[in-house]
Amino acid sequence: MAERLAITDAVREYSADAGVLGASLHVAAGEVHALIGLNGAGKTTLMRAVLGMVRLDSGTVRIGGVPLDRVPTAAWSRVGHLIDHPFAYPDIDTRSNLAIAARLRTVPHGEVAATVEAALEYWGLAPYTAVRAATLSKGNRQRLGLAAAFVAGPDLAVLDEPTDGLDPAGVIALREALRDHADRGAGVLVSSHHLDEVARFADRISVMNHGRIIAALDPAGTDLEREFFALLLDDDAQRDLEAQA
Amino acid sequence: MTGLLAALRVETRKAAAALVLRVGGASLALGTAVLAAALVAAVETGNEQIAAKLGTFAEAAGWDLLIAIATQVVAAGALLAFGTTLGWSFGREFTDGTINGLPAIPVSRAATVAAKLLVHLMWTVIVAVSLVCLLIAAGLATGLGALDAPAAASLARLFALTLLTGLIATPAAWAATLGRGPLPGVTAAVALIVTAQIAVVAFPAQGAWLPIAAPALWAMQPTAVTGVQLLLAPVFALAFTAVTVSAWRRLQLDR
Repeated sequence: MAERLAITDAVREYSADAGVLGASLHVAAGEVHALIGLNGAGKTTLMRAVLGMVRLDSGTVRIGGVPLDRVPTAAWSRVGHLIDHPFAYPDIDTRSNLAIAARLRTVPHGEVAATVEAALEYWGLAPYTAVRAATLSKGNRQRLGLAAAFVAGPDLAVLDEPTDGLDPAGVIALREALRDHADRGAGVLVSSHHLDEVARFADRISVMNHGRIIAALDPAGTDLEREFFALLLDDDAQRDLEAQA
Repeated sequence: MTGLLAALRVETRKAAAALVLRVGGASLALGTAVLAAALVAAVETGNEQIAAKLGTFAEAAGWDLLIAIATQVVAAGALLAFGTTLGWSFGREFTDGTINGLPAIPVSRAATVAAKLLVHLMWTVIVAVSLVCLLIAAGLATGLGALDAPAAASLARLFALTLLTGLIATPAAWAATLGRGPLPGVTAAVALIVTAQIAVVAFPAQGAWLPIAAPALWAMQPTAVTGVQLLLAPVFALAFTAVTVSAWRRLQLDR
């Protein structure tokens, strides 16, 4: 299966214990790959490195088989992302914000209106088309950010905590969107704290701790939470031993 | 410059929704016209206190006085207004959290910067045209009569001064990028005003060689500034455009 994303030995060190300290993972076409870990584990930094927002000290990122620094600018139209904040200008209404996202992903001028209308329907934002982003609820702003990330039908989506602020209906909409896009051949990298939720939509789960991918979890496992914390405790104990040695 | 057209459309849409631009432009154009007309009316009706405050300006009369006051106001006020709006245009991306959506798209960072500056330039033209029109309306409403040729030339210089001031506000874009917010842009604009004022007072003979002072000196006293000195203003703007593009290219979003 085609490889959408490959990260090999990525290092972006902020301190001896913070940042990304040697992480590798792959996302194949049609796959939702979830990254879970505690706060400060390095998930967001790794995603920022994938998107060229921060430069790695060492290691490589390849998107669609192409090294990050050689990805042509135009090829980024096939990548959707949501990092930290939804991409929404507070003084601009929902429809125009989606049009902005579509234009920035170089959706052809004549197709912007139809693309935006489709996204509004898909994400349940039709009742809020004329509402400024500043006055949307947190959940609807997050939906807007997700709609912006997926507006051009990406081959690779990178989503940092996409369930943040979503109500249960929004979480279901996200789950369906991830499955839809993966079924169409997209690769999706998602970070999350919510193990139960991740188990419902991920094909693969990687556990990140102190900047490293330490293990994989089986999404079909019966007690993911217990397994997750056991992995973290083992890794921390191992690191303590190494530090004492 | 990949994606420039898309970036231009986006920046134009953002500018159309921006209250900061409307307030900044209206304050400069309307505020200058109303202030200048009020002061002229006061002098024309024999208000000695206002005449004394205006100093040597009060020796002029009619359109000359109106435009001289407006030029004096625009010399500093436009730099503050354009510095604020330009600093906001760049700095808002950080404070609104939208900066994370601008990398990893098929629009280069250079195109984003260029689009922001081109829209700023378009905005500067709109404000300059509005200022001149409002000033003419204010002069006619004050009863100054028909515009004569020297006054029309002064108005043309005021128009050019407004445009050139929009250009020399470019360091505000750079400062807002480095400082990751609109406020450093405003601070840069204030610093430019203070630097220009001090330099002109401290070095009156060489002041015209300072790109941030030359446009105002030229608008007030055309013979005091050469064409080469005036051309340094757009060169200064281009230099800071290059510096801003470089800052965006090197930008790392790790905080």
